Amino acid sequence: MRFLLRRLALLLAALFGMSVLIFLALRILPGDVASVMAGLNATPARVARLRQELGLNRSYLQQYFEWAGNVVHGNLGISVLTGRDVGVQIVSRMQITFPLILIGLLIACLIGIPLGAASIVARSARVRQSLHLLALTGGAIPALWGAMLLILLFSKGSGLIALFPSQGFPDAGWAQAGSALASLMLPAVTVGIIVGSSIMRYTRSALQEMLSSEFVDMGMACGMTRVQAVLRIGLRVVSPQLVSVIGLTFAEMITGVMVIENLFALPGIGSMLVTDVGNRDLLTVQSELFVLAAFFLCIGFVVDVLHRVLDPRLKGAGLLATAGGAQ
Amino acid sequence: MVLGLWLAVAAVSLFWTPWSLWWTDGYHVWQKPSPSHILGTDGTGADVLSWLMAGSRTNLLICVLTVLVTAVFGLLLLAAMLARTALFAQASVVVIDALISLPTVLIALILAVPFGPSVAVIVAACGFGYGLNLARIARPQAMLVARSGYVESALSNGASAASVFSRHVIPNIMPIMMVQLSISAGTVVLAESGLTYLGIGVQSGVPSWGHSLATSVTFINVYPITVVWPGLIITCVVLALNVFGDALRDCADPLSNPELRAVRGRVEASKGSEAEYV
Repeated sequence: MRFLLRRLALLLAALFGMSVLIFLALRILPGDVASVMAGLNATPARVARLRQELGLNRSYLQQYFEWAGNVVHGNLGISVLTGRDVGVQIVSRMQITFPLILIGLLIACLIGIPLGAASIVARSARVRQSLHLLALTGGAIPALWGAMLLILLFSKGSGLIALFPSQGFPDAGWAQAGSALASLMLPAVTVGIIVGSSIMRYTRSALQEMLSSEFVDMGMACGMTRVQAVLRIGLRVVSPQLVSVIGLTFAEMITGVMVIENLFALPGIGSMLVTDVGNRDLLTVQSELFVLAAFFLCIGFVVDVLHRVLDPRLKGAGLLATAGGAQ
Repeated sequence: MVLGLWLAVAAVSLFWTPWSLWWTDGYHVWQKPSPSHILGTDGTGADVLSWLMAGSRTNLLICVLTVLVTAVFGLLLLAAMLARTALFAQASVVVIDALISLPTVLIALILAVPFGPSVAVIVAACGFGYGLNLARIARPQAMLVARSGYVESALSNGASAASVFSRHVIPNIMPIMMVQLSISAGTVVLAESGLTYLGIGVQSGVPSWGHSLATSVTFINVYPITVVWPGLIITCVVLALNVFGDALRDCADPLSNPELRAVRGRVEASKGSEAEYV
């Protein structure tokens, strides 16, 4: 309980710090917000008017508190350029990014954990080595390129085997569940392969640690074979760490899938950010960045707590012990 | 070997490329590979191989700079975490833990808003992110060194904190650091291709692998084969860097010391989570 409270305090402090950081980053860095938003050819009068309209001529402190107050009340502001509510926008974008990540992560786990375990318990050294090399190769493929190759192979239109659409998302959204799912397939597989190889490497090194541990020795002393001991006891012992890594990966993927969303023309969170940065819609970007950063911090919090719950050995360890172990 | 080839090609491309980068030929766009253009030509009739060769030096520059920034920034953070003032040290640990959850893409986006796309943005964002990682990963090992008997005796003999840090701490974390830096070098090559595609990496007109990949992707329906080359090069180089890192760890593994077992688990743990999806 005490741990929970302290970790919560850390989360709140981090949220506050992050909001200040993002606010300042967009103001202190060169390029005044109003003149950047107005564009290169804007007259000074236009910049001044924009500054007046957006309330940018007040002190930073006033601006910060108004923005932060609004965010706390769940009001993320309205984009000046498109006139759309930022909060609503984020929610609708999440409906694409979230399923994409979930499917991708599922594929990644299905690939990564069994293959990672196999690269430890396989009997022949050659198999172990080539599995490890496979994991390294998977991690070395640029997402853009992997996606391209999948498009060339499997997409409708330009692919060799026309299976899935390669562009866009059905306008009807999840009302047409079948075609929505189909349009997420290629991007999800791309993500799955790349993340899967990282989970595979992680599983491998965690299990390797287990190989020479007392847990496996104990299992073997009780009559299990080495493979059984590693799979049934070793995997269970490393599962809290695996859960932490998968949780953090999940958080990172929100922006990690940016390239893939752009390539497949999926209107998700990542492509929203890129578009708004491209449009110089800075006040919108400010809110969006904060929401994302807050999301990462919250996931970090959940992962730490979860790790604590799953791994009873950490009971009694200090705050910083989990913070280090979770990564 | 791949790495050596990379260096050689980068050096050669400084003086010579088969075709000039800006030599374009409107009549011979999207040519198939042929003896005069070994990898064919792109949409403006420029030679693909020449662009890739020129790209190797941009990528090399980005890699070297990022590794330098990562090393310096990581060591500074590490020094902060080992500071004698407990409050300061604890505060820096907390700050690093908070910042480490920010993906590098996000940092690059924040930087690209005021500065526009450039090599510097990639280097700064990646150096920052990987530096945090490095400090976090090297911390347990550095803590062990800092608490060790020889550091204590050095301090009691009047050595300054700075000299202890450079004479004792840095050599002791060198193996971890080398491995981490070689992984960072690979990751930044991937990051470059992703960021450039998103328009927040290398400016257009500057040759780089990410640039070649991004432009060929735009024309995938016209001439799909051009997509293959830049991606293949990036994959090979990153794979080479990863294998290099692996080999480095195998030959310089000081962690066979049983006392440091726990540390090793953690190092590997953080290695596993460092993937770049951009």
